[in-house]
Amino acid sequence: MGALTDKYCIVGVGETPHMRPSNRTTLSMACEAVSKALADAGLKPSDVDGMTSYQAGDSTTSAAVATSLGMRLNYSLDILGGGSSTEALVAHAIGLIEAGYAKTIVCFRSMNGRSGRRMGGQVPGGPIPIANAEGDNQFNMSWGWTTPAQRFGMSAMRYLRDTGCTTDAFGEIAIAHRLHASLNPKAIHRTPITMEDHHRSRWVVKPFRLLDCCQETDVAAAIVITSREQAYDLRQPPVFIMGGYARTMTDNPQWNYSRREIHYVAGNYGWKRAFGMAGISHSDVDFISCYDAFTFTTLIQLEANGFCGRGEAGEFVKGGRLQIDHELPSNLSGGHLSEGYTHGIQMVIENVRQLRHRADDACPRWAEGIHTYDRKAGCRQLRKARICCGMAWGYENMASCLILRGIAA
Amino acid sequence: MPGPIDYTKLRIIPDFDTREWWEATRQHKYLVRQCNRCGHKWFPPTFPACGKCASMDIGWFETAGKGVLYSYVVVVQPIIGAFVSAVPYVVAIIELDDCREEDGTVTRVAGVLTNDESEVAIGLPCEVLYEATNDPKIVVPRWRICGSAPNTWKFEE
Repeated sequence: MGALTDKYCIVGVGETPHMRPSNRTTLSMACEAVSKALADAGLKPSDVDGMTSYQAGDSTTSAAVATSLGMRLNYSLDILGGGSSTEALVAHAIGLIEAGYAKTIVCFRSMNGRSGRRMGGQVPGGPIPIANAEGDNQFNMSWGWTTPAQRFGMSAMRYLRDTGCTTDAFGEIAIAHRLHASLNPKAIHRTPITMEDHHRSRWVVKPFRLLDCCQETDVAAAIVITSREQAYDLRQPPVFIMGGYARTMTDNPQWNYSRREIHYVAGNYGWKRAFGMAGISHSDVDFISCYDAFTFTTLIQLEANGFCGRGEAGEFVKGGRLQIDHELPSNLSGGHLSEGYTHGIQMVIENVRQLRHRADDACPRWAEGIHTYDRKAGCRQLRKARICCGMAWGYENMASCLILRGIAA
Repeated sequence: MPGPIDYTKLRIIPDFDTREWWEATRQHKYLVRQCNRCGHKWFPPTFPACGKCASMDIGWFETAGKGVLYSYVVVVQPIIGAFVSAVPYVVAIIELDDCREEDGTVTRVAGVLTNDESEVAIGLPCEVLYEATNDPKIVVPRWRICGSAPNTWKFEE
């Protein structure tokens, strides 16, 4: 077990709606998300003395949010990063609190990811009219190879070739996450899909169809981290941080495509650390989250983190294994594929809600932890949700993980 | 065949680490970086030190511009204006034949193929060719399939 296993908790979560477009500033959205996360925890702004965020040069700062909400911080930091940053900032918060730099820390991501800076580089109205291929872009934009779909597609294609897996495995993931979104009133796409729908979906970049790609949205989301001693007296059942790894890299982290196997991704280097720290094995995990910028990123992380063997993920996900009430439910809010796109923080938020036994679904008394488990009536709370493994992806060469434990029913 | 790439909509801007590479492509030479100490080769040349021995005493290796297709994607929805007229086009990763090192390391490069997607498969041999742009200082390398091979693999929709 890790020296700090179970000593720190996530005590508050909150987010704005997923919007297209928000017509708001990232500061306005960040203030809403932070305020909701504090209210969820039962904390006042003055109870929080640390704030961190991650962004891609597309968002507001901790200082601006603190000023707006009248908070005086003992610690603030805004990092550059996308996927896999939330879990890293949780690890960061543990270190800061342990060392005495702050006692309670809120971490946020606020982005106009649809109407503002889109991660694929698109501009409103379509393709970039005149593009500057400078810096790293000289060696990808010059051959029309820039977006995450185009980049990760290269690893996905080689994976299909090396393993014999087919794109039906991608379809399994799209179907599972959409099913969960159908039980999430916050999700932007809630109509369940079939394998036929996946087959008919238009190509974006082969081997990815539209239904393999996430839903870019405008949104802000926040989580609050504090020590368990503080957590016991707060409003929600605490969720304990058992272990993880944080922005772990492979060798050759900036040019994935010269690595011996381009789909041997960073999780392979991290999972023993996370499970060792947590003191559990894979069979102890009740449910997972798995960064689904694309269906393939979920698929490859399952085997990278040891849930199945190398090259076996395609078989592993068959038969609905990742769906609610099956063996290993994944991304219960619908994830990036169907709920909306937050650069990963929504996965942590949903995992916390499930572990509290308070998924915000259609059950009238969800806030008290009372659920029907009737999926036809819109309940998405798992019956058993004690331990969750959240796997996060920055790109092939960078990954994080966060193993959490709940004590609610 | 993919349509033409409209290079008037793409401004390629060489820098301190890459100027010599673009100068070489202008002369129809395909370079990769090489470590003067241990001989390791790498791409892209944006990295100013050797990934094997960390030396910053680095130079260039002129490759024959031939290799084997390692993976590819077919871009159907264009994102960069310059490539709108080119879709669907194939971007490939190519393992260079003369950049295989003793420990199994092989330098891979990326580029747009001139071939139609129906002609493309993993495992096929490729060779470089050079495409002029409207900017006389910039020539962009492209790649084409230049033969056949046993045990190739093709994406089936």
